[in-house]
Amino acid sequence: MFWRILWRLLHASRGRLLLAFIAVASGAAVCAALLNLDLDAGDKLAREFRVLGANVIVAPQRSTDAVPLMDAGAMAQINALRVPEIVAAAPYLYIAAQAEPPAASNVAQAGPAAAGNATQQAEKASGIPVIVAGTWFDQIARMNSWWKIEGQWVSSRDDSAHCMAGSEAAKTLGLGPGSALILRYGGREASLIVSGIATSGGSEDSQLFVSLEVAQNLAALGGRIGLVQLSVRGSAPAIENVMKQLARALPGLSVLPVRQLAATEGRLLERIRGLLLATVFLILLLTALGVLAAMAGLALERRRDVGLMKALGGSVQRVVGFFLAEATVVGLAGGVIGCGAGMLLSQWMGARIFATSIAPRPIVLPVILILMVAVSLAGALPLGLLGRVRPAEILRGE
Amino acid sequence: MTEPVKDLVVQAELVSKTFGTLRALDRVSFQVVAGEWIAIMGPSGSGKTTLINILGGLDRPTSGRAIVDGVDVGTLGERELTRYRADKVGFVFQQFHLVPYLSAVENVMLAQYFHSVADEAEAVRALQRVGLGDRLVHLPSQLSGGEQQRVALARALINHPKLILADEPTGNLDQANEDLVLDLLRDLHSAGHTILLVTHSLAIGRLADRRIELAHGRLAQIIFNVDENHKAVQEHS
Repeated sequence: MFWRILWRLLHASRGRLLLAFIAVASGAAVCAALLNLDLDAGDKLAREFRVLGANVIVAPQRSTDAVPLMDAGAMAQINALRVPEIVAAAPYLYIAAQAEPPAASNVAQAGPAAAGNATQQAEKASGIPVIVAGTWFDQIARMNSWWKIEGQWVSSRDDSAHCMAGSEAAKTLGLGPGSALILRYGGREASLIVSGIATSGGSEDSQLFVSLEVAQNLAALGGRIGLVQLSVRGSAPAIENVMKQLARALPGLSVLPVRQLAATEGRLLERIRGLLLATVFLILLLTALGVLAAMAGLALERRRDVGLMKALGGSVQRVVGFFLAEATVVGLAGGVIGCGAGMLLSQWMGARIFATSIAPRPIVLPVILILMVAVSLAGALPLGLLGRVRPAEILRGE
Repeated sequence: MTEPVKDLVVQAELVSKTFGTLRALDRVSFQVVAGEWIAIMGPSGSGKTTLINILGGLDRPTSGRAIVDGVDVGTLGERELTRYRADKVGFVFQQFHLVPYLSAVENVMLAQYFHSVADEAEAVRALQRVGLGDRLVHLPSQLSGGEQQRVALARALINHPKLILADEPTGNLDQANEDLVLDLLRDLHSAGHTILLVTHSLAIGRLADRRIELAHGRLAQIIFNVDENHKAVQEHS
């Protein structure tokens, strides 16, 4: 009988309940979209941030050595950890080498702008000091995908024939994509072809990037590196956790955050999350008000029925139970439909904001259903108050 | 020859009810035995509906005792009153008061549901008894006034109450439907039901065993309808 009456109630008040349903479904759609984004966007945003360069550095501990170095085997140890949050890890060995600019025959290849500087370059034939960074090209490309590249990245990690030049260094040395270059250090030299010119807006612009092997050979420091730069994605606590894992795996080395960047990322992620959750709260409030408005009208209509039901011996729990069940049905139906729409909305927002798909998170559905039922019941407060109706007054027509 | 002593169903002892400064009932006392049909009469505002509401557990007396089937209604808590209404009394109202979105049979089943368990077959039989076997799934809006009142009668009877309280049940009906409803009440009376019926109509009042007449909230007189020519009158000051 309960379900029969409930069905009749739903059918009889379908107009007002439709309004409540629309309020709940709309609220559920936006809340589901934002919650789904909140769950997925943290990851997505962290990935977006991770193109901004390294945020963690592994370096030798301070020592009395003029140039503290570490064993390149640290790279194998880092990779062996298989930490999914580590987006990229690049070893670095810095040396201050002498660069011999391209010979006149190469200038034409480098383009007319470089040709105009031929005389100046000839004067510098003895070599120009330049900071050379030996690294893994594939890793710095992944870590710094936002760099502006003229030409192209060196495709292979171990390519000993090519190099990348920072834009300032290229200008000083008169280099362009395809230019030939000789680097000298301690009586050793390496001949390289410039594959691309990189502009980062930072100190990298005045450096030359060669493969780690080339730098080690020039410096006669086989198997040694100066530091490792890592790009770690995730919130501030997640990054902290990865750093602890690294510190445990690499005793004797310092694991340091690039403070400013890591802290900014963490703050930004937390603020975005706070904004999303505050918006969800606000929408829940508005949804409850929408349901309240629809239910208040319904409560007035139902006053007589409640008085009659109580006169017939219906307990407050049973009578009000019908109406709260009605609100629960509205909450569940609105929650399910709204959640489906919210998933689609989050896909659209993900494509617009992150240029990627946002995966639907199954946990969102039960959370939304619980929230929407709670909001519907809160909005159905006027129906709950019908329990106070005095049947004699209603039947007298008061 | 002495008549066998029948069970007392209603004992009203100095029942008074005030609404603010208005005294709706003033020390009303009477008794009703099982199987009696009592007509409560009097002009508008004389306290008829107030008396019915108190006996039906819809209102509480300000003072005095209203005892129905051994239960002092005025002493019951809210939950006990709800139970009392479901178990002891069946209401029939002038305005029918059916739930508009429930069919005829569902309106009867609603009373069963509040009492114990809804039994559709029994509800159908109750409607067939009042001549509405072909109106089971009709909504109140699809029924005539007389049909609605017969649904209300079926609903009032479905839980086998000790007392049927009818507040001007024919007040909104045409003559034909009034006759139908009165025939049903006669049948109920013949079957041994105890009926308290509020009416303005002397003709209807005369159908009852006794007429309790109220005036300004007071019991004016109780008239026994045993013999119209030699009616027994109990005067009350």
